[in-house]
Amino acid sequence: MAHEQEECSKKKIQYPLDSNSYKILDEIGVGVSAIVYKAACVPMNSTVVAVKAIDLDQSRADLDSIRRESKTMSLLSHPNILNAHCSFTVDCRLWVVMPFMSGGSLQSIISSSFPDGLSEPCIAVVLKETLNALSYLHKQGHLHRDIKSGNILIDSNGSIKLADFGVSASIYEPNTGQGGWASSSSSSASRMMLTDVAGTPYWMAPEVIHSHTGYSLKADIWSFGITALELAHGRPPLSHLPPSKSLLMKITKRLRLSDYEKSHNQKDKKFSKAFKDMVGSCLDHDPSKRPSAEKLLKHSFFRNCKGSDFLVKNVLSGLPTVEDRFRETRIVNKNGSVDDETEEDPESDSATTIVKQRRISGWNFNEDGFELDPVFPTESREKQSESDNSDDNVVKQVRFGGETIIQDQKSDNSSYSNSGSPGAAGDDQAEIEAGNIEIIESESNVGGGGDFDRETVVGGLVILRRSLDEQRQQVCDMIAMFGGEVTREDQLVQLIEKLKMELENERKKNFELEMELEFLKLQISGAYNSTDN
Amino acid sequence: MKGLFKSKPRTPVDVVRQTRELLIYTGRAPDTRETKREEKMAELSKNIRELKQILYGNSESEPVSEACAQLTQEFFRENTLRLLITCVPKLNLEARKDATQVVANLQRQQVHSKLIACEYLEKNIDLLDILVSGYENTDMALHYGAMLRECIRHQTVAKYVLESQHMKKFFDFIQLPNFDIAADAAATFKELLTRHKSTVAEFLSKNYEWFFAEYNSKLLESSNYITRRQAIKLLGDILLDRSNSVVMTRYVSSRDNLRILMNLLRESSKSIQIEAFHVFKLFAANQNKPPDIVGILITNRSKLLRLFADFKLDKENEQFEADKALVVKEIAALEPRDRP
Repeated sequence: MAHEQEECSKKKIQYPLDSNSYKILDEIGVGVSAIVYKAACVPMNSTVVAVKAIDLDQSRADLDSIRRESKTMSLLSHPNILNAHCSFTVDCRLWVVMPFMSGGSLQSIISSSFPDGLSEPCIAVVLKETLNALSYLHKQGHLHRDIKSGNILIDSNGSIKLADFGVSASIYEPNTGQGGWASSSSSSASRMMLTDVAGTPYWMAPEVIHSHTGYSLKADIWSFGITALELAHGRPPLSHLPPSKSLLMKITKRLRLSDYEKSHNQKDKKFSKAFKDMVGSCLDHDPSKRPSAEKLLKHSFFRNCKGSDFLVKNVLSGLPTVEDRFRETRIVNKNGSVDDETEEDPESDSATTIVKQRRISGWNFNEDGFELDPVFPTESREKQSESDNSDDNVVKQVRFGGETIIQDQKSDNSSYSNSGSPGAAGDDQAEIEAGNIEIIESESNVGGGGDFDRETVVGGLVILRRSLDEQRQQVCDMIAMFGGEVTREDQLVQLIEKLKMELENERKKNFELEMELEFLKLQISGAYNSTDN
Repeated sequence: MKGLFKSKPRTPVDVVRQTRELLIYTGRAPDTRETKREEKMAELSKNIRELKQILYGNSESEPVSEACAQLTQEFFRENTLRLLITCVPKLNLEARKDATQVVANLQRQQVHSKLIACEYLEKNIDLLDILVSGYENTDMALHYGAMLRECIRHQTVAKYVLESQHMKKFFDFIQLPNFDIAADAAATFKELLTRHKSTVAEFLSKNYEWFFAEYNSKLLESSNYITRRQAIKLLGDILLDRSNSVVMTRYVSSRDNLRILMNLLRESSKSIQIEAFHVFKLFAANQNKPPDIVGILITNRSKLLRLFADFKLDKENEQFEADKALVVKEIAALEPRDRP
């Protein structure tokens, strides 16, 4: 209460509502439909601010959700939450003026200077401040829905703020326009559960991925647990293999080549019991067993937590500026996408292709490895043998609420699913594939369809892209394997030749795609977050 | 004795009563000492939060319908809503948000299957004047705006606002430079013009002249992108609604309206173009096109056909393509009529 009073007495300073009052200094983040600038507010002693300029004409989000986001932000008031100073339109762009957080996002800090993660005392400070914000949000009835280190910003004085309410939702706000009124007397349970998919896949709670059950505040707690792992390892779980190897890669490796590339699992880092316990409780499968944000704050891990000065000394000192880091990532990403072009999978005939999905039924938190292990549905074993024999042209995809991803990218649909397929790589190869990968029939019961979230789509694309990488790797392996056999050598050389041709084609096609993905990826990691930097 | 029983849990009725007392207290002239006043304000905030928790439940418990009914009944038994609304500017941000949510929720609460909030508002309709004027105050706009949108879910209340002088003000509110406030006003405006079909149809028929004159000049021809985009979308929603067919027929018979729509079709913004098409198609599909409309369409025939030839949605949409084909066919087949 004392805090609230204090906030209230602080009269909100009105920032000017016209673009002429702001002088753009530098670009610090870019996304599909938004650019983030570092700018000076001239009439206010050239106070440095971050301006997120959202192209409303391009933006996937409809105006109503942009309005809700903007309103949510302007009505929140907490030291650990990044507020907007003001927002106004400039032609078809919405300018959201926010405080400039000079340290940038934790994600950008980690990727530039702490590739193996932060030290535990630093993590504790970051997480505690984040929890304060989360606890406030939850008390207000808001879900953040996209908790990750990319949305945790730090200022030069070490203060931490949670940002990006692009996908936040309120359990108090009735869905505008429809429904609410008629169900006026129904219990709040329906309002407490939101069913549309939002967020970024790696951080998503299982019940969000399988969104038919709906989810509530506890989904944020899951993402918070993932964020803790992210801060500790330098990457979210299942993306801890070098950048473009992946979720899918890791899963298949575990099933087939469990001895391959496991080195990254076994870090020499040691984590405290308290930390493991705290993270473990967040990653409970049963949302109701996860602690609330408020309860988490009392966890022993946060006892004797250091202050923001500690972060200034141990994280911020010697760090490149946000602008420099942004430029850096741009260059790296450009190069990265060029490096990536090696073999690609050939096309399969999509008309005769049976689309199947492999779903992950859950995650197990492995406390020793401090990692998440995927769990597959058990019935998949039976399917496996079937697919062994029959399905040469099987398109395999891992989808996270995948329908939305696919529908949204309709035009690219076929090329994505095809590249996810080892199918026409040659029948013999496909069989080898099918034997090694567990497949179950898709149960496409993820509802909702109509509303797409940019983040979800981007996340989905990233996963698909990684699936491409994996398939490419497999083709590589196969080429190597076949190459090793002497008897059928000639035949194989031909086959390889043919494959190479096809791959060449694929590569061309995929190049553009990858460029776009890099761009989107940048947005995930960057856009708003590095912006707010 | 009193000490033995630690504060007995208060009933919903108690909470409402105490809230009311505190509201009356803070409404009085500030003759009391500052510290005492602050104490009372803090207590008031706490009570409002408690009201919210009874109505919405919290993370541990669902709301109890019996408690909600008692609360609602007590709330509207006396003048608590008026006290609360007028007190909002004095509250701190958190209490303002709580108050907004309480007011919003109360509009939906039924007591003996009656919406008693509606009955109360009908008798205290001037409260709507306060809520609408919230858009003129940066600090109040979002709170009063949210309350207003809940209140106009009652048909009689919406009718009052539609027929009041406030309606004209919305054309300016929508274009306020502050995005949050302008967008909130636009949402309310849309709600007023789409929710209660018969009321809207009646309003538009009676107020056709001034309303569409304003709508065209201030909104559709605004220099502000977002205003144009929202306005053309809303116009489509209004005209395509079956209950507004009389208004629609009138609208699509005017050459001035056609001119405005054709300009919107030429916009560089795809979103605006597409929304404009949904209105333009009504002009083309009208089976009783006045001669001047036919004339304009014929004069611009080649340009229009060229435009539609490249006109596509990002996502394939059968309905859209069908509409387009129809419009193209209609325009291609037009023949100049002999003027009488």
